[in-house]
Amino acid sequence: MEFTFAEQLGFRGLTLLTFLPVIGALVMLLFMRGKASAYKATALVTSLATFALSIYMAIVFNTDTATFQFQENFVWIDSFGINYHMGVDGISMLLVMLTSFLSVIAILGSWNYAKDRELAFFISLLALETGMIGVFTSMDLFLFYVFWEIQLIPMYFVIGIWGGERRVYAAIKFFLYTFAGSVLMLVAILAVVWWHSTDAGVTTFDILTLQEGLGGLPSNWAIWSFIAFFIAFAIKVPMFPLHTWLPDAHVEAPTAGSVILAGVLLKMGAYGMIRFNIGFFPEVAVDAIPYVLVLSVIAIVYGAWVSIIQPDMKKLVAYSSVSHMGFVTAGLFVFNLQGVEGSILYMINHGILTGALFQMVGFFYERTHTRLIRDYGGMARPMPVAAAFFSLFVMGSVGLPGLNGFISEFLVLLGVFRYEKVFAVFAALGLIGSAAYLLWMYQRTMFQELTNEKWLALKDINAREILTLVPLAASALFIGIYPAPILRFLEAPSQNLIAQVEPFLAQKQSIMELASSFLGGF
Amino acid sequence: MPTPDVTPIIPELILMVAACLVLVVEPFLKLDKTAVVAVALTGLLAYGAAAFALLGQDMAGFNDMIVINDYAIFFKVLFAAAGVMTVLMSPRYLEAHDRHLGEYYALLLFAILGMSILAAARDLMLFYVGLELMAISSYLLAGFFRYRLRSNEAALKYFLTGVFASAITLYGISMVYGFAGATNYAEVGAALAGDENTLGIAFATALVFAGMGFKVSVAPFHMWTPDVYEGAPTPIAGFFSVGPKAAGFAAILMMFLAVFEASVDTWTVIFIAFSIFTMLVGNLFALVQRNLKRMLAYSSIAHVGYLLAGMGAIGQSGDLLAGEAILLYLAAYTFMNMGAFGVLAYLKTQQPVTFDYTLDDMSGLARRSPWAAILMSLFMFSLTGIPGTAGFIGKFYLFNAVVRADLVWLAAIAVIFSAVSAYYYLRVMVYMFFRESEEEFVVGESISGPLAASLGLAAAGVLFIGLVPARLVDASATAFQNFLGL
Repeated sequence: MEFTFAEQLGFRGLTLLTFLPVIGALVMLLFMRGKASAYKATALVTSLATFALSIYMAIVFNTDTATFQFQENFVWIDSFGINYHMGVDGISMLLVMLTSFLSVIAILGSWNYAKDRELAFFISLLALETGMIGVFTSMDLFLFYVFWEIQLIPMYFVIGIWGGERRVYAAIKFFLYTFAGSVLMLVAILAVVWWHSTDAGVTTFDILTLQEGLGGLPSNWAIWSFIAFFIAFAIKVPMFPLHTWLPDAHVEAPTAGSVILAGVLLKMGAYGMIRFNIGFFPEVAVDAIPYVLVLSVIAIVYGAWVSIIQPDMKKLVAYSSVSHMGFVTAGLFVFNLQGVEGSILYMINHGILTGALFQMVGFFYERTHTRLIRDYGGMARPMPVAAAFFSLFVMGSVGLPGLNGFISEFLVLLGVFRYEKVFAVFAALGLIGSAAYLLWMYQRTMFQELTNEKWLALKDINAREILTLVPLAASALFIGIYPAPILRFLEAPSQNLIAQVEPFLAQKQSIMELASSFLGGF
Repeated sequence: MPTPDVTPIIPELILMVAACLVLVVEPFLKLDKTAVVAVALTGLLAYGAAAFALLGQDMAGFNDMIVINDYAIFFKVLFAAAGVMTVLMSPRYLEAHDRHLGEYYALLLFAILGMSILAAARDLMLFYVGLELMAISSYLLAGFFRYRLRSNEAALKYFLTGVFASAITLYGISMVYGFAGATNYAEVGAALAGDENTLGIAFATALVFAGMGFKVSVAPFHMWTPDVYEGAPTPIAGFFSVGPKAAGFAAILMMFLAVFEASVDTWTVIFIAFSIFTMLVGNLFALVQRNLKRMLAYSSIAHVGYLLAGMGAIGQSGDLLAGEAILLYLAAYTFMNMGAFGVLAYLKTQQPVTFDYTLDDMSGLARRSPWAAILMSLFMFSLTGIPGTAGFIGKFYLFNAVVRADLVWLAAIAVIFSAVSAYYYLRVMVYMFFRESEEEFVVGESISGPLAASLGLAAAGVLFIGLVPARLVDASATAFQNFLGL
């Protein structure tokens, strides 16, 4: 079977999926200025349609193969071998679904958030969605870079215009961090494409062609390119010690921005590592295992540690993301099926749970106008429904069996344990930490005595807000109880990924000792 | 004596006639200068169209002093576009300053004539004529607001440093003539090819580099740039930042590849070293500017630094790619920088008293005039090099050429500087979108038709090159290959 859009769908599904949001945004801009109900409805319908399309494509998607599907390919800049090439495998299909899902949630959740320049707010969210989906669907390096950079712009405005008090600082920091990382990646892209063109005689930016053709890359080239790509993605993930933009961006961003940022943007970094760091330079990736694992474990433990002492709920969730994303990178770089599948599933679950946590913190903030934990207390009394949902998401993040967080955490730990026990022990420490900071936060905000009499007058979350939380809660439960349908998407591409690095893993038997000796040095 | 074939200079003849016509028409007009503007515009469009019609021609005229080929035509069309944008944004701006005079357009056309000759000359003498025609017209334009202190300062500074630079260039040229005994590029190149890398030739190379470095504002010869941009009328500042720069690079490319081929090793090192220093100076000083015209001046210096890296790549690899990339970059740069200055010119006509080109004056612009803010953002993003805009395509090709010349480290330095540059470009948006204006701005006139057309043209250029670059890429490739075929 040919995995082109024509064979599978009969229409350009990925192009439609990618640009549908921005088309909706254009319609809103051109025809609906000043008509609040019309453009809000259009924004919601557009994001729902995108989500529905992604579901439809996921149903058509063939999970038996790691081949990219729904491929579209036509020439863009001929003289340079740059094509408009799109396609998805199981990993990107899931991430595209996550993106379109969380976009709906973010739009619905911020229905009345923007008091100022509301139309521009919804347009930015839709433009952001296009950029994010484009990152996951590009199969051409140039196209990927275009989407990778372009999604910075709407996010920059979302944080800078509708954010909190220090929004300008946070927006600039966010932009500069990512931009600095990605321009170095640009040089690496140019370098590997150049090497490939002298080696193979054709200039191409096609990701699959490059993956096959970079085998003979001289090792110093591979190492430097790996580092350049890795820094760009590590900033996005974010990995310790490049994480410092994240707490600022999260705290200052509006709720929708935080949901998208934590839910999708961070995953772009891990996705980039899968596609490029491992796909292009499998040999260097194997060499990098101990370093990545050490950094991941530091992120896990440090993130948890710092979370415990955060006085601000949003900042706490932000730092917890640093900790959780450490699991993602750790699982990815142990290169066994449990680790890799668990890691990608972790990305999905983290998107759902952290997105939900930010959403809920946003709901509380809209009512109380404070995010400080000490201002809360006893919130379960005036807002029982909210507290119930909140507990579900907190438990999910802690890793309670039966909820989605558990499955992925378990898989990652298993993978890491199979690779090297010491790292698993440290990662488990982080797990304990996450139970501590999340449950303690929950206890201090929802239970205990009512600190402020004013809170008694607060209204519980309304139907619209519940409507945004139900799908999140449902998917958390569903994946927690029956993850097989999701894992099915991951199996073929994960095996494919491991097959890429396997020859080098076998070559480097002593890597285990290297890892231990590296750790022994501390 | 046979009649010379004038085909190679048809576009220049058209431009010259138009410039003279402006001077003839002007005395018959009273306050309404529309006719002058129309003549200047028609002249520029005819000039561009004539150049375009000659595409594919490859011939030399007047004892091989001047040529018409795709390379020269590429620049002619570019100059025509820059000229049209400048003319369109001028009338309302000059009226706002009570100085709407016909000479302005005549001088502009003469400057473009000089630039056009500069790009087409194949003889050192004619090169110098073009250079001076461009320069002298520019001095006058810089001081066009003669009753204003800043404008006077700009003109004087530009004149003194410019004359100095011309003299240095001339000194270098005279040495070349002394060594080669010829002024024609090809003949000089052939004559010098024999004695490679003698000290004298290296000295001549350095002199011409320094002289041209003044013209295109290479650091440390850049001192005049911010003051001149600040003092000159805004449309003219925009024009200075793109036109003479493109013409300067057109000449630099030819001079160094054809005339100084023998000393390629010397000038490669010179270009790379000055590239790094120029990027450093341009970007660091731009960071601390609060006046937007000065910020754009330093940003233009930074962009010259990137272009010099491209020159270094040519010298290093002898690859055509870097030359093509420089052409492409100049085209991209023309549209985005003209656009940025155009928005400033618009804001000045809108608030002649309150707007003083500072960052604070941009506060809350998104609320006052959203379209101006959106366009300005587009140009700033393009200058930063965000994909989807011309600036990205320019940087992409240029840095690609630098990487392929085995200068990966230079490309890495260049991209780090462009990450630095993101800060000062983004800051403009911080003021426009994230801050509110503290004082009440009196919103004056709405945008005039020509100015809107000019901004539209710039924005369309930025987006077109950014999204569908293939055509321009091919055009710059054929243009540059054609040039080397000489």
